[in-house]
Amino acid sequence: LPTPPARLPYVPHVPPTALLGKITATTFALERPRCVFDDHADASDAVWLAVAFANASATFRNPRSRADVPPYKELPTARFYMTLETAAAAYSCSALSPPVLRVGGDTACRDQGRQDPCNGPLPSPGPYRVKFLLMGCRGPKAETRWSEPILLRRAVSPGTIAPVPTRRGSDVVVISSILASLGAVLATAVLGALGAKVWGFLRHQDFGTDAFTHRSFRTHHIPPVLPQPPPPGCGCGPPGLC
Amino acid sequence: MAKSDDCVHILQGLLVFGNVVIGMCGIALTAECIYFVSNSHGLYPLLKAAENDIDAAAWIGIFVGLALFALSILGIVGVIKASRTLLLVYIILMLITFAFEMASCITAATHRDSLTPSVFLKQMLERYQKSETANNSDNEITKTWDELMLQNHCCGVLGPSDWQEYTSAFRLTHNDADYPWPRKCCVLDAQGLPVNLDGCKLGVSGYYNSNGCYDAISGPVNTHAWGVAWFGFAILCWTFCVLLGTMFYWSGIEY
Repeated sequence: LPTPPARLPYVPHVPPTALLGKITATTFALERPRCVFDDHADASDAVWLAVAFANASATFRNPRSRADVPPYKELPTARFYMTLETAAAAYSCSALSPPVLRVGGDTACRDQGRQDPCNGPLPSPGPYRVKFLLMGCRGPKAETRWSEPILLRRAVSPGTIAPVPTRRGSDVVVISSILASLGAVLATAVLGALGAKVWGFLRHQDFGTDAFTHRSFRTHHIPPVLPQPPPPGCGCGPPGLC
Repeated sequence: MAKSDDCVHILQGLLVFGNVVIGMCGIALTAECIYFVSNSHGLYPLLKAAENDIDAAAWIGIFVGLALFALSILGIVGVIKASRTLLLVYIILMLITFAFEMASCITAATHRDSLTPSVFLKQMLERYQKSETANNSDNEITKTWDELMLQNHCCGVLGPSDWQEYTSAFRLTHNDADYPWPRKCCVLDAQGLPVNLDGCKLGVSGYYNSNGCYDAISGPVNTHAWGVAWFGFAILCWTFCVLLGTMFYWSGIEY
C-alpha cells in the first residue's frame, strides 16, 4: 500500500499585499509557497494545485497517479479539479519566480478544450478552497492544508447606480435665492413707480394737469424779473425820489 | 440751488461710472463664454449624452454680455442728457437682460450640480465599448473615454475597480480573466502595448493606472460652470445697484 502523503502545516492564502486584481469575478491569486516542499521533493516531482468548492473539499480524494487527476472541464460536475502543474523546483527556496500565482488566468485552454491541465477561469463566485499537492511517480507524496474559503467578486448591474444627487449644493441655493430676491426687488420698484404714476394721474385727473413731481432736478429757465428802469429824468438820489 | 445741483452731478457721475463697469464686464463675460463654448476639452460627447445643458448657459452668456455692453452705452448717453425716454428704454431693456442672465447663472449652477460621479459611472458602464446596437453617440463616448484614459493616465470614473464592481457593456465582449479592466488602463509603452500585461491584470502598482478619471472630467467642467455662474452673479449684483440708482434718477427728472 502506498504511504499516505505527508501533511504539511502550510496553509495556502491570498497574498496580503495590496493588489487590486488579486480577486476578480473569475480569477484569484495565491501567494507562492516557498521552501515548503523542499524536504519531500525530488527533481522529477510536480506540485499541483487542487481547487474545490468550499462545501466539496471534504469529498476530495488525492489522485493515485497523474492519470487520475480530475480535469478542469469536470469542475461543474465533480466539484473539484487540479491545475497549475509545475516542477517542484519552482517552489524551492532559491527559485527566482514571481511571488504570486494566478488561478484562472488562461482562457485559451478553456476555449480550445485541451486535455492538459488547464488553468481556466472559474465559472462561479465559489467560495473555493485550495491546497497544494506534491505528486511523484508513485502518487502523492505531500499535501498542504486546505485554505480558508475564497469568495470571488460578484458584480452588480449598473442600473443600481442612482445618478440623481440627493441634496442640492449650497452654491446653487445661494445663487438662486439671492438672484431671485434681487429680481423681486427690481420688479417691485418698477411696479411701484408705475403704480404711483398711475395713482397720481388718476388723483389729479380732474385738475387736468400732470403734477407728479416730488423733486425736480432741472428747473425751467425762468428769466428773473428785472427791476423797472427808472423813468427818464431821475438820475440821482434815492429811488423813487426825484 | 447749488447743493441740489451738486447732488445731481454726483449721482450722474456714479451712474456713468456704474455703466462703464457694466460695459466692461459685459465684454469680459462675452469673451469668457466664447472661450468656454469653443474649448470644452473634448468632453462634449460625455456631457451631451448625459443630457446636460451646461453649454446653454454659456451661449446665453455670450449674448447677454453683448447686450450689457450696448445697454451701458445707452445708459451713459441717457444719464448725461437726462432724457426720460432714453432712460426708460434703458431700464426696460436692462430688466429683460437681467432676467436672461439670471436664467443663465441658475442654469449653469444647477447643471453643474447634477454632474455627479454616478452620472458618468452609469454612462460609462452602459455605453463604453458597447458593441451590439451601438449608435453614433456610443462610439463617440468610447472614443472620448479612450482618449481621456490615455492622456490623463487614469482608469474608470473612480478607479479600475469600477469595472469589477459592476457589470458593463465592456464586460459582455471582454471576459473577466483576460480583461479585468480595459487595456487602456495599463501603463503603455511607446507602441501602445502594455509594459507588463500580467502585472496590469493583477493590479501590481506601476503597471496600471490606479486613479479614476473623475477629477480630469470635473476640473474643466467646474471651471466652466463657476466661471459662468459666479461671474454672472457678480455682474448682476452690480447691475442691480446701478438699475436702482437709475430708476431713482429717472423718477426725479422733470419733463
